[in-house]
Amino acid sequence: MSDAPVLEVQGLVKHFPIHGGLLQRQVGAVKAVDGVSFAIARGETLGLVGESGCGKSTIGKTVLKLIEPSGGKILLGGEDVTSLKPGAMWPHRRRIQTIFQDPYSSMNPRLSAGTIVGEPLDNFAIARGAEKDRQVARLFERVGLRPDAMRKYAHEFSGGQRQRLGIAKALSVNPDLIVADEPVSALDVSVQAQVLNLLIDLQEEYGLAYLFISHDLAVMRHISHRIAVMYLGRIVELTDKRTLFARPLHPYTEALLSSATAPDPKRRRLRKRIVQGDVPSPANPPPGCHFHTRCPYAIAECRVTSPPLIEVAAGHHVACLRRPVGGDPEPLSIP
Amino acid sequence: MSAAAPPVLQVRDLCTQFDTLDGVVRAVDGVSFDLAAGETLGIVGESGCGKSVTALSILRLIPPQTGRIAAGSIRFEGRELTTLSEAEMKSLRGHRISMIFQEPMTSLNPVLTIGTQIAENVVRHLHVPWRAALDRAREMLDLVRISDAKRRLGEYPHQLSGGMRQRVMIAMALSCDPQVLIADEPTTALDVTIQAQILDLMLELKEKTGTAIVLITHDLGVVAETAERVVVMYAGRKAEEASVEALFELPLHPYTRGLMRAIPRVDAEADAAGTRTRLQEIPGLVPVLTRPIVGCAFAARCGFVTERCRVEAPPFVEALPGHAVACWEVERVRASAL
Repeated sequence: MSDAPVLEVQGLVKHFPIHGGLLQRQVGAVKAVDGVSFAIARGETLGLVGESGCGKSTIGKTVLKLIEPSGGKILLGGEDVTSLKPGAMWPHRRRIQTIFQDPYSSMNPRLSAGTIVGEPLDNFAIARGAEKDRQVARLFERVGLRPDAMRKYAHEFSGGQRQRLGIAKALSVNPDLIVADEPVSALDVSVQAQVLNLLIDLQEEYGLAYLFISHDLAVMRHISHRIAVMYLGRIVELTDKRTLFARPLHPYTEALLSSATAPDPKRRRLRKRIVQGDVPSPANPPPGCHFHTRCPYAIAECRVTSPPLIEVAAGHHVACLRRPVGGDPEPLSIP
Repeated sequence: MSAAAPPVLQVRDLCTQFDTLDGVVRAVDGVSFDLAAGETLGIVGESGCGKSVTALSILRLIPPQTGRIAAGSIRFEGRELTTLSEAEMKSLRGHRISMIFQEPMTSLNPVLTIGTQIAENVVRHLHVPWRAALDRAREMLDLVRISDAKRRLGEYPHQLSGGMRQRVMIAMALSCDPQVLIADEPTTALDVTIQAQILDLMLELKEKTGTAIVLITHDLGVVAETAERVVVMYAGRKAEEASVEALFELPLHPYTRGLMRAIPRVDAEADAAGTRTRLQEIPGLVPVLTRPIVGCAFAARCGFVTERCRVEAPPFVEALPGHAVACWEVERVRASAL
């Protein structure tokens, strides 16, 4: 096994064209992902957190090559797959699998659960016939479903069980990395706990890496090793989760953390300033630092200069003009 | 809890049922609670627990083709709502009792301006001239802190962001000074920073207007930060009721405890680097509501279960002052570690 990260993206860009006018010419672009770089090590969970429209799901789709990037590089296990055509991409697809928020919509209602989970085994010619059935039964047991449920259809399962089916399918080809896009957002808390526990167990057992995409900070805190906070197509802060929750440096991270609700009535009074205003449209983001329109600490320069993501302390990357390398990690003052 | 003033809303033994192909669903199965003037009551539970059906029952919005309030009483300002005519209910809804729902886009009319929609409600209930109603609409937009209210009055719902639409819904709901506001998952569809703004706004307006709020949510965090009293529902029944402080300090129902242990927490104490604790799962599934539930609805998933729990439904009794719970084994639960 090589030491290369399971997944590395460098300066990833994805623009969606906006067409308008009588001739439907391109009149602009939604900069969904605007120069994002990160790497995921074997067995690691990298969380991508942010609000709707920040580009976190687009990153997931782009690294899966479900959509083509507009720029930047995607490396799977050290191999550049950025410009591979579908045929050439095929052998790499075994290494990177995905689970979705709503697994039901990705399941053929006319196929039995066993057939759905076994499909990748066929596709990659891993197993056939009785051997395939044995492997599928083993996958069912591993994700906590009874093997006799293989004969049932997708609609006969509950939401949590369907998510287990989705996980079993992703696991079937023994991938290195699973892209999990909001996998527990549609589930009730008691079921959510079961699925999160399963994901953690599987990671420890198989050395899986996850790119875990969610808007839920509590879920993020639970499952991630490192977390990247995104705002309007860019990573604004990237560090290990402990540091992120204990000492957030970017004003947006701070705003997100103080907005999150916690099951503790005593925390009510501790609530800090809440950030005001809405997230600007990604089709027309503000110049300079995208967050300056809502940032209480913004200075004049923030309106013109786009801050680069820099490592201000070991492993702690921040994109904020007011957080220089080696700077004071104390709270910022309001200008 | 036993305030001197009579409650504005009194729900007693409410049973709401739906006819389905699989049989009669007992969505709400004997729920009672009081709402005091100016109070915020949280109703919390997982999907299918009957929390939203409770709200719809109070507003008499259960579709008559498939469902009905089968038993129980709902008293509001001394009037029995279950027997009111549809015309009388219409004069209450949006006036004395208002509501906001999860997805504002589906509750707003896409072809009418914001101003028209708010003013319409004001004219219908307060019988004021259109001009005065529009003034009121602008006042309400100012109140919910929508900037440039005059221009916004002429805009359509699709021109607003999700957070703004929810503000408009709140403006509309409060436009006739209701006694009670029922908010069903008002922030579930919103981003966290916007959710925080809307929750703060609701609480601030409650202080200003004195409107009592029934906040229905699946999110224990939202309840903890907004409600004063909480009702926990499970499988159409009330499992526990307490002040928000007492509920989170010492939950007494095994289901409430299970929920609290199952949620990952954003405020977790500094966890050692890299280690991730396991969440405690609640084993099993919620019971099917088409079959009558014998005994305690939670018995099959409960760690404290005894023979009695499986055959006899526990009564809802006060275990501590102001803290009531439906559990036969409450003393054992209480003595056990959290």
